[in-house]
Amino acid sequence: MVHVIQAVRTRRRSRPAIRAVLAVGLAALMASSVAACSGTSDTTGTSANAGATGSSAPGKVGGSLTVWVDAVRLPAAQAYAKAHPNVHLKIVTYDGDGNGATTLQAKIQLWNRTGNGWPDVIFSEQVNDPVWMAQKPFDFAAPVTGLIPASLLSQWPAPSTAQCTINGTQYCVQDNLAPVVLWVNKKLMDQFGYQVPTTWQQWAAIGQKVATEHPGYIIGTSGDSFSHWIYLWGNQCPLEQLQGSQLLINTADAHCTEMASLLDPLIKDGSLPPLSVFTPDFAKKYGGADDKVLMMPGPGWYGHDLFLATLHIPAGQMTTAMPLQWENETPITTGQVGGGPWIIARHSKNLATAADFVTWATTVFNPTGANARPGLPAYGPVAAQWLAGQATNPYYASDPTPALKAASSLIWKGWNIVTYPDQPVWSNTVVTGLVAGKSLSSLLPAFGSALGQAAQAAGYQVTK
Amino acid sequence: MSLPALTSRQAEAAHPRGLRAARMRARRVPRGLPFIVPYLPFLIAFGIAPMLYALDLAFTNANGGVTGFRNFTRTFTDYRFVPAFNHILLYTGVWLGTLIVFVVGLALLLHGRANRTSSAFRFLFYMPGALAGAASVLVWLFMLDPAVSPGSFLLRHVLGAQLFVQSIAPGNLPFVFAMIAFWTGAGGWIVVMYGALNTIPHELEEAARIDGAGPFTIALRLKLPLIRKWVAYMAILSFATGTQLFIEPQLVNEASLGMVPDTWSSNQLAYQLAFRYGDFNGAAAIAADLLVIGLLAAVLIVTRTGLFGRED
Repeated sequence: MVHVIQAVRTRRRSRPAIRAVLAVGLAALMASSVAACSGTSDTTGTSANAGATGSSAPGKVGGSLTVWVDAVRLPAAQAYAKAHPNVHLKIVTYDGDGNGATTLQAKIQLWNRTGNGWPDVIFSEQVNDPVWMAQKPFDFAAPVTGLIPASLLSQWPAPSTAQCTINGTQYCVQDNLAPVVLWVNKKLMDQFGYQVPTTWQQWAAIGQKVATEHPGYIIGTSGDSFSHWIYLWGNQCPLEQLQGSQLLINTADAHCTEMASLLDPLIKDGSLPPLSVFTPDFAKKYGGADDKVLMMPGPGWYGHDLFLATLHIPAGQMTTAMPLQWENETPITTGQVGGGPWIIARHSKNLATAADFVTWATTVFNPTGANARPGLPAYGPVAAQWLAGQATNPYYASDPTPALKAASSLIWKGWNIVTYPDQPVWSNTVVTGLVAGKSLSSLLPAFGSALGQAAQAAGYQVTK
Repeated sequence: MSLPALTSRQAEAAHPRGLRAARMRARRVPRGLPFIVPYLPFLIAFGIAPMLYALDLAFTNANGGVTGFRNFTRTFTDYRFVPAFNHILLYTGVWLGTLIVFVVGLALLLHGRANRTSSAFRFLFYMPGALAGAASVLVWLFMLDPAVSPGSFLLRHVLGAQLFVQSIAPGNLPFVFAMIAFWTGAGGWIVVMYGALNTIPHELEEAARIDGAGPFTIALRLKLPLIRKWVAYMAILSFATGTQLFIEPQLVNEASLGMVPDTWSSNQLAYQLAFRYGDFNGAAAIAADLLVIGLLAAVLIVTRTGLFGRED
């Protein structure tokens, strides 16, 4: 079918068609050059039981294996290639399906249609990808039970396993846990004489205060494709709640509107700008040696990936605090940004090696120091080692691990994982409006109906 | 313009000259055949056959059962269909308008210049188009970012954008894409138009000048009518290219982390239907819609400009 669309276009538009082919070729070239570079890294997995793992899948570990990973997971794949010279590993890096991209849907449709080309293992940044991968028409994911020993699988925390379980079968293992905590710049807080907040109200009050006392400093952002996971998921706003066969999307719920009303003055006074933290504009305005990030509610991996690697905030400033509480409501709940899964292809001709790769990447790969994994590993024993390493990491102003550990069990369970990505809906209905100066409260109804349309297009029955 | 065409055709039918022309055309067909034979297999394999396959898909369902127009009504009621076609028509209108005015205008200007200046400018105009499509869009992503753009002055004062996200605000997009497409495509067309202008016999220009026509009159009343068919040709090809916009919004979608919807254009919607929802029949229906729109525009332009008329 791709030929059809292409060819119909070719007839009328020959140059762009050639361009498209060139672009695809170029991408393939880049991918293969990345593959060629694999194994040259000096990143190594350090673990007592390195090499001792094995999958319970029948067959011998070896032969060739194709894995698709994002840039962050590339070191893990390269380290596997180094530790397993008998496996001919072909690594393809791609966008990781981040921010709700649909790269994998398109690719899997194509592979399914041509009947070959599937990689053996895929890492996705998109926690909802396994849901559609496990179902028709994609039918891509292989159940992991039987491939990875049950004794290992049981060491993933129950909520993580739940996110990988579709219709009662587990189809993936999560690489990391990504609960939202409150990141705090201890140096700036001390300098300005502010107390670390424990409630959203205290946090917002500081935002209003800093906007008048020290304009230009921020207490978070509202312009990321996943900002609704931080503020709305965390505050129990029912935007993705499966109730039997119905999907509840209710932006009029008090949990949604109260949060929007809390955020609106902050967006307006500039302490919660509608900018993505991964844009050059953001890094220029708020990053660097004299950074302007006072606080930031965000996932655990922000510490390494955002503050250190992207914004280059100096060591000794950032640390974590407990997820924020709404007034005195209990229990405290929080959102989640990430928790990317590893998925094994049911088409793999080398299931034993594929399972071994996934097992190794999640339960063995755990380098220390500067090469440490950016996020809290999902697999329990590795998580314990990782936390011990981070507790003394000199980058942080104080031990960030107590909040990370506590937050991982506070993720609100009323937000279900659905087949469609919701980030683009947030980006193109809400963030564009915020950039244009509209209030979040005024955009919520449009956000709800756009989510409803996306859900219905994906085959859900929606209730409001 | 249609009236004279009609009268001349009627006159042709009444006049023996018409008969002679028809006889001559009949004689030419076998002589022309060898010239198009090498192209025919490719046209059939990569043009006509896939088109027929798309039409077949558009009128059937996933199991091959005939569904009539159900794929068309189904995709038409999709909540993304009307916005996508609105975007595309606005974009094509803006782009086609600027393309015709500026390409013809610049070509006429160049044609009046001394040879060396003109070739230097032709090269200059062609340069932006020498970048392959996807690469030029990537360049434009930088051009649209006020923080790094050499044209940040324009972005700040014309678009009122201080940040990249403001440059690509929904209301700006048709104009932004039209600008990208203009600069990547116009250079090639300027060269084509310049070539067309070169076919005008020098004597005609000289005769006009002796009659007292200035450079403006010559450009507008002599040169422009004589390259009318090339302009029509450009309009037909560009209309189809415009309605099938894909790579620009697709890359901006990825660069903006989803702030521009991935179904901004109709071609993207077809792509999403096919590869995200596995709905190849719906995608084929949208492709057929685009084919019909392109054909209609082509028929309109051909009949209105007498593109295939032979009288001049």
